[in-house]
Amino acid sequence: MMRISRNLNIFFQGALLSYIALFRWLRPTTYMASKIVMPLFQLLFFTYLGVSATGVETASFYVVGNAMQITAISGIYGVTMSIGGDRWSGTLPYLFGSPANRITMFLGRAFFHIFDGMLGVFIGFAWGVFLLNLDLSNTDIPTLILTILITTISTAGLGLLMGCLALITRNIMFVNNTVYFLLLIFSGANIPVQVLPSALQIISFISPLTRGIAAARILILGGDLSQVSGLLLGELAIGLIYGALGYALFHWFEVQAKKQGTLDAV
Amino acid sequence: MSLCFLRGISRAAYMTFKMTLRQNVMDGFIIFTVLIQPLLIAVMALWMLQDSIENPAIFIIVGSGLTGLWSSLLFVSGNSITRERWTGTLEMLVGQPTPFPIIVFGKNLAHVSQSLGSMIVAYILAVVIFGLQLTIGEPTLFVIAIGFTVVAFVCFGLVVAPIFVMNPGVQGWQNSMEFPIFILSGFLFSIALLPGWTTPFSYILAPYWAARALHGASSGGASTEDILLSLGMLILFSLIYLFIAAFLFRKLLIKARSDATLAGQ
Repeated sequence: MMRISRNLNIFFQGALLSYIALFRWLRPTTYMASKIVMPLFQLLFFTYLGVSATGVETASFYVVGNAMQITAISGIYGVTMSIGGDRWSGTLPYLFGSPANRITMFLGRAFFHIFDGMLGVFIGFAWGVFLLNLDLSNTDIPTLILTILITTISTAGLGLLMGCLALITRNIMFVNNTVYFLLLIFSGANIPVQVLPSALQIISFISPLTRGIAAARILILGGDLSQVSGLLLGELAIGLIYGALGYALFHWFEVQAKKQGTLDAV
Repeated sequence: MSLCFLRGISRAAYMTFKMTLRQNVMDGFIIFTVLIQPLLIAVMALWMLQDSIENPAIFIIVGSGLTGLWSSLLFVSGNSITRERWTGTLEMLVGQPTPFPIIVFGKNLAHVSQSLGSMIVAYILAVVIFGLQLTIGEPTLFVIAIGFTVVAFVCFGLVVAPIFVMNPGVQGWQNSMEFPIFILSGFLFSIALLPGWTTPFSYILAPYWAARALHGASSGGASTEDILLSLGMLILFSLIYLFIAAFLFRKLLIKARSDATLAGQ
């Protein structure tokens, strides 16, 4: 019991402290610019691009896809910075020197970004409703919120894996940016997955977001939980697989860095 | 202004251009901004637009290339002075006899020219991977328009860089300035899709006139008069930007010297 309580404490303290330590630069204006205004214009850009291709009646397809995709800002960039930031700020040796449970420490890094990511998606949907006439009148809102939560968790799972790459490479922003844009292409946010060549649909199949976006579209059109439960389970499974791969990499990195004395390598 | 002085500053600008190109090759962020991102946007747009417009390939290649030009201007040229400050080389650049704006001009020219590479890669991609036909309606005007576009973007960069370095608060909004220009300038879709009240904002942006000239010349859908009008507007905006940049650089250097913040973080 004591152990569970200690691990929970490490989880929440680690989550809070890493968020404060690594995102202290996030002043309200910077937050607004990166998390509210930028997603708005990204949503507008891809919606107008889509509308110019397929007509104004298809606007909701792009609005929903891009609103859901906003979660990748927190899931990919935020989580990666939460893990890689320890390397850049020289605190990795202390982290690996502590007796703290690694899984709780590792998963705690994604905790606040899941809520932050959900908030981003809510804002995206709000922009869609107010500016692009997105109709939510037939939507099962609680299931949509569940869909957003699961999609955010699965994207954060990929972020945990990417964060571990940040412990290995110095060019992580290059990798992050590329993955972010690949998600825009392959997750179905802007291009229906079935339009892609079949070889490339494999990328969609193994990407987080794909099933979450598909589920959100079904819900917006009036679907319910029974129609999207398969998609949501798949989305969650994808996120857990990425998270597990991330943890394996994190563990491998710790062992290698201790063996080779490269904990401080930047 | 003597010939010797002109030769000297041209050489300085050229050397800065060359050095910057070499440095950029090793910078993952810059490679992504000027090459990979426009390419990914081109791929996405090719899938989205290929059945909806006539002659889509050249329109998309030009449009996605323009997104690379703007992103490069915003994130790379916009930070060209700030980067020197971070690396502690700003004092030396300001202290040496070559006028500081010439150095920034050379750097911006390298960034903007490099962005054009994305158009070439996208061109190859469209032909080889997508098997699309590519024809340029007015090749001569297109080449002229590219030249004018590069000059206008470099001049715009000369305005943006001192603004960012003097106003860190404005730079905080950098991330949110990328897509609005993609939208307002009509890089990949017509601004006629946007609400009417946004049109005046498009008209005061050099990227809009660049897009209008390049799309007009490449897709062949515009009259020669219309392309010439856009080129004229690019010249006008370049001159306005140069005028503003001269004022901003003077102000920046006086302030940095009097506040002793050249080496500041």
